[in-house]
Amino acid sequence: MSKTFDFSQFSHQSKKGILVIYGNLLYKFIKVTWIFLFIVFKDFSQFTDQKLIYIYLGLGFFLLFFLIRAYLIFINFKFKIADNHFILKQGILKKTDTSISFDRIQNINFKQNIIQQLINVHEVNIETAGSNKTEISIKAMSFLKAKALKNQLTSNKIIEEIVVDKSKEKPFLKISPLELLKISLTENHIQSLLVFLALLFGLFQQLQQVFKGFLKDNIVSDYVRESSSSFQQSLFLIIVCVILLVFTAILSSFVRVFLFHFNLRVYVKDNAFEIYQGLFTKKSFILKKEKIQNITISTNPIKKILGISFITFKQAVSGKVNQKKEKLIRIVGCKEAQVKKVKELLFNFADVDQLERKQVHVYLKIRMYLRVLLLLSIINCGFYFLFHNVEIYSTNLLLIPFFYFIINLIYKKRFYKISDKVLLVGNGSIETHLTYLPFFKVQNIKMTQTFFQERNKVVDLVFQTASGKIKLPCIEKQEAVKIYNYTLFKVESSKNLWM
Amino acid sequence: MFANEIVSSFPDITEVTFKSINKKYLKVILINILLFFSVVLIGLFLADYFSFFNKISSYTYLIYMVFTLVFIITCFITYVGFKKRKYAIREKDVSYKSGIFFKKITTVPFSRIQHIEVDEGPVSRFFKLASLSVFTAGDSSDDLEIKGITKIEALEIKEFITKKINE
Repeated sequence: MSKTFDFSQFSHQSKKGILVIYGNLLYKFIKVTWIFLFIVFKDFSQFTDQKLIYIYLGLGFFLLFFLIRAYLIFINFKFKIADNHFILKQGILKKTDTSISFDRIQNINFKQNIIQQLINVHEVNIETAGSNKTEISIKAMSFLKAKALKNQLTSNKIIEEIVVDKSKEKPFLKISPLELLKISLTENHIQSLLVFLALLFGLFQQLQQVFKGFLKDNIVSDYVRESSSSFQQSLFLIIVCVILLVFTAILSSFVRVFLFHFNLRVYVKDNAFEIYQGLFTKKSFILKKEKIQNITISTNPIKKILGISFITFKQAVSGKVNQKKEKLIRIVGCKEAQVKKVKELLFNFADVDQLERKQVHVYLKIRMYLRVLLLLSIINCGFYFLFHNVEIYSTNLLLIPFFYFIINLIYKKRFYKISDKVLLVGNGSIETHLTYLPFFKVQNIKMTQTFFQERNKVVDLVFQTASGKIKLPCIEKQEAVKIYNYTLFKVESSKNLWM
Repeated sequence: MFANEIVSSFPDITEVTFKSINKKYLKVILINILLFFSVVLIGLFLADYFSFFNKISSYTYLIYMVFTLVFIITCFITYVGFKKRKYAIREKDVSYKSGIFFKKITTVPFSRIQHIEVDEGPVSRFFKLASLSVFTAGDSSDDLEIKGITKIEALEIKEFITKKINE
């Protein structure tokens, strides 16, 4: 099956797009007003008929208004391709013309939320490395047309698109639900818990704001306070709480992993990775080799036993505002052979592994010890002022070995290796992260030295890349200066573009 | 294969002669510090006058003493640290270093510069001074900034770098 699409003339998105835009508008409207709606409909039975008519009329008006708005957005949304630029016209009253040259395009992603899956259209997102205002989202396109558009944008030649049935092509990596279960059980549960709590906290704040607006001051926080005042310091309750927290943590990482990574498939195409994943919202990414700034391979003790690790690809982020989560693309559940393949495909990362690992200076450990000492003394001062029983000091018996253990782990995992092209930085405490950075991707380099470091003749090195900082703390000054000079030499003599 | 021993024949950053920034800039910093501290001092006076310190009135003189001490130390550190603010422009990169207790040196290769800015503050303008900032891609909140060079020099450097980038 092959078909060509003509993008040299302005074209609209698929007509089904009206539905998607309509859905989006309604969703946004409900998201802003859901608490208000809830309050109105709570006393639904008490309304008189006349009032009901007004409510229905208002509702109908809004529904119609959004439908018209969706139609107008649709009709004013036009795009075409002309001399290596993607050109987009949009806006009902305020017209906007956007023009993006092909080489500024960083990524073209496909996405499908539930509505889009039901009516079988794809959302196409075009990401650029510039400011995030120039990011373009085409809400609804048929798969074939989207594919054709992508191909025209990614290659300058106009080629006839032959759609390959993905189910026949053998994926580089495919994760079955059972494997996904294994992955989710070995996730960093503390992190998942924090994410979940942050979400909860956000919701709580939203609730509080609204109730404040309705003069029912602090109704929610009162409720919480009431229930926490009856919270006796009994051991039983604490244990129940801990078990509950552990359970929530595991459950939230389970949900998180299944939501984002369900049915993960990775394909390798000459210079790019194609990644498909997602449960409700299906996403696909095209990851071009030259756009990747650095990669991190991470694992933790349990994952190590199972022989799996995950790879995080970092791309250039735009501006200082958004350390956007979406720009960190993660492939979970890589087997050793696949990790090796990825390394081979990208910049020959494999060479650097064989080199001798260089430990950072022991000053790092001393510095951590001193900091922990300070922290412990502050905690103990707190104990002195807040509590009256002596038993509380026994927590030190737990804290001291814990910090000792962690510090030694952190120190042991801090190392670096340098090949002629790549810098490898190891870090982590319980998890292990290996970051591979090709020298020519460095944007600028910084060397800092505190007064205390000066006496030990060590410095911190900071490599700034387009996707964030990579720190190499406490290395001997002589060595650091060499690395500094070498990095600059590599960057300045490199002919490769950093993206 | 590369044997992990870095040969020392690469251009060495430690052998570069750095140039100090314009001496007039010290006056600019001192004026700014003076302005800041006078505002705080006025605040203190007003608080004292409207007797906010009632409860700790016997310690009021201590507050003033601490204030004076902080002022003197700030001025002293600024004075000593000022001599450490240096920059260097090589054929392919620009570097800036500063700090006494916290030494810092940054180098930005020309080929990675996204854009360059020349700014003048109100006090700086009086002394015909300017600051030159270069930005690179990514989270560029703390890229390189050379404060306190003459405006003419800043524009010259900007011109030089722009020419180099476009080569």
